[in-house]
Amino acid sequence: MANIQMQQLKKNFGDIPVIKGIDLDIKDREFICFLGPSGCGKSTLLRLMAGLEEISSGEFLIDNKRMNDVPASLRGISMVFQSYALYPHLTVRQNLAFGLKIQKLPSDEINNRIREVARTLQLSELLDRKPKILSGGQRQRVAIGRAIVRRPKVFLLDEPLSNLDATLRVSMRVELARLHEELQATIVYVTHDQVEAMTLATRVVVMKDGAIQQFASPLELLHRPANIFVAEFIGTPKINLFKVEVQECGPQSITVTHALFSNPITVSIAKEIKFAAGTKLTLGIRPHRLSTKQSLDCTISAKVTIVERLGTESLLYTDLGLETLVICSAAGTVPIIRGDQITLGFSSANCLLFDDHDQAIERCLPADVQLLIS
Amino acid sequence: MLRNRYTPYAFLSPYIIIFSVFWLVPILFSFAMSFMNTRSRTWQFDFFLNWGRLLEDELLWQALKNTFLIIALQVPAMLMLAVFAAVLLNSKDLNFKGLHRFAIFAPIVVAEAAYAVIFRLLFNDNFGFVNNMLALINIDAIAWTNSSSGATALIAIGLTWRWTGYNAIIILAGLQNIPKDLYEASELEGTSPWQQFTKITLPLLKPAILLCLVLSTFGTLQLFTEPTLLTEGGPGGSTTTVAMYMYSQGFKSFNFGYGSAIAYLIVFLGLTLSLLQFKLFGGKPDE
Ligand SMILES: Nc1ncnc2c1ncn2[C@@H]1O[C@H](COP(=O)(O)OP(=O)(O)OP(=O)(O)O)[C@@H](O)[C@H]1O
Ligand SMILES: [Mg+2]
Repeated sequence: MANIQMQQLKKNFGDIPVIKGIDLDIKDREFICFLGPSGCGKSTLLRLMAGLEEISSGEFLIDNKRMNDVPASLRGISMVFQSYALYPHLTVRQNLAFGLKIQKLPSDEINNRIREVARTLQLSELLDRKPKILSGGQRQRVAIGRAIVRRPKVFLLDEPLSNLDATLRVSMRVELARLHEELQATIVYVTHDQVEAMTLATRVVVMKDGAIQQFASPLELLHRPANIFVAEFIGTPKINLFKVEVQECGPQSITVTHALFSNPITVSIAKEIKFAAGTKLTLGIRPHRLSTKQSLDCTISAKVTIVERLGTESLLYTDLGLETLVICSAAGTVPIIRGDQITLGFSSANCLLFDDHDQAIERCLPADVQLLIS
Repeated sequence: MLRNRYTPYAFLSPYIIIFSVFWLVPILFSFAMSFMNTRSRTWQFDFFLNWGRLLEDELLWQALKNTFLIIALQVPAMLMLAVFAAVLLNSKDLNFKGLHRFAIFAPIVVAEAAYAVIFRLLFNDNFGFVNNMLALINIDAIAWTNSSSGATALIAIGLTWRWTGYNAIIILAGLQNIPKDLYEASELEGTSPWQQFTKITLPLLKPAILLCLVLSTFGTLQLFTEPTLLTEGGPGGSTTTVAMYMYSQGFKSFNFGYGSAIAYLIVFLGLTLSLLQFKLFGGKPDE
């Protein structure tokens, strides 16, 4: 049971700012993912929370108590390391007991807790083995067990699944979701895999260069990205972006044009905002919102340069002479091959608009999208 | 092209020839000699002459006692120092790491004769620097070369000075193999630095320390240089080691047979001790 607050949290390594003022308010029992490209400071932020790095400035609170100067072991947190960090000279049982013995817990209490954790994580058979002879998934479970057995208020996990193969990763993901239900604990989870973030998290912190880009639920990130970075980072395949020009601004809509569009397109907006005619905006449209069958509000004609058949889905890459290839997601068996000339239709309701500073212009969600925010 | 199954041996032949002539033959020959009476005009096999004498030779037993005393005093102390030095060298707060590592390793490359001369000056009973320093803090002069305990201590100090760095470097390599996040994980679990040292560092250093222990024991069992150069085995034979005794039997008294028997005794003791140490402290920590 714990809520977590950060206020203008900063971390410098020497002169280099790595965490540049993080404000975050995490509620009790949330499953939070830190998501971002490599080197954006996810691990550093987690280590600041754990107490493994010193906070340069700002406030860090757990349950409204200031934690900046509290030693790591007294913060009520457990951490699972990417490398597992199991003690190689100790058996699984001794690994689980290590911290409890340091805390001088009575030995039957230690044994009870180990038995309980071993049952939850199916470790009972492994208790007398050393980490070296365990498989990756088993080591992972021991590492999680070692975190659980201390009964912390907050769990921190740094890319716990990145050393596992794809199948194991999927099953551990399910297991983690189950554990979150069962433990009723606050979990903070670092990953650069958006599928993990989208499937596990109640809310996701998208980071870039040591700053938060957006803090929202997974569906909100997808449908209401705060800026171009988030729009491009979330969603596979990547969103298609067009540099468009403002033709006209109404109270509830903006009409934009693009040389490749069949006609100007009018996008509804949630809040009135004025742009001078000719202002350059960015229009984003997700690949699966492009249709090869219907014309809808607007069309682009394109020549297919690559077809990727993924099974249930085909990705059509078309070269329109833009910076990047435009991608359309179509049915797995769509009878289109390389070199075909196609027409891509899309509707204005599915367009995302970004202003001249790459920030999102608040949109009206299309009728078929519900964000399911509880 | 010349390429058949003899080719590798052709390439190895210089080594094999040199090894055979200068190592294997002498090793086998001295083994044979240890069963011969080499004092008689023509050497004759006399199976129990030398090996039997080993058991009765008071001087040999004295030399063995001297040697084991030095091993027992010096090896554990040096290994503790080496672990301590390695931990310091590995500390992330240490500046000029390269310099320190060189400095601690340097004694091993100094010529033995040169360091012995300096040690004899430093530890001179009457006007040595060390005794002068001790006088400053009101400690009576120590008879470094004129008492058996002083001489033993002097040799132990010399050995420690020369070999600590070598062992520290081996242990340092072991330290650097311990993943950093083990310490972080244990820090989160509330482990104090001292507990980290005893519960993580030491157990994981066991293979490196064991290697140092075996090498040092074996090395000290053959101890020759320091007692020869620093104390000349004295006073009164109190620092004469088995290796020195072997040398004097073999090359001063020209009793090659007995010398060989002593040499094999040293090898045998070394192997036994090593095996014992592996048995007692061995077993990889992670298996
Ligand atoms: N101890 C340190 N000293 C100096 N710079 C550091 C230190 N630790 C991290 N950095 C720098 O801080 C930045 C953020 O690192 P961090 O490990 O937090 O990234 P990350 O988001 O976890 O990346 P990844 O996904 O690759 O794990 C990087 O540029 C890194 O070089
Ligand atoms: Mg990281």
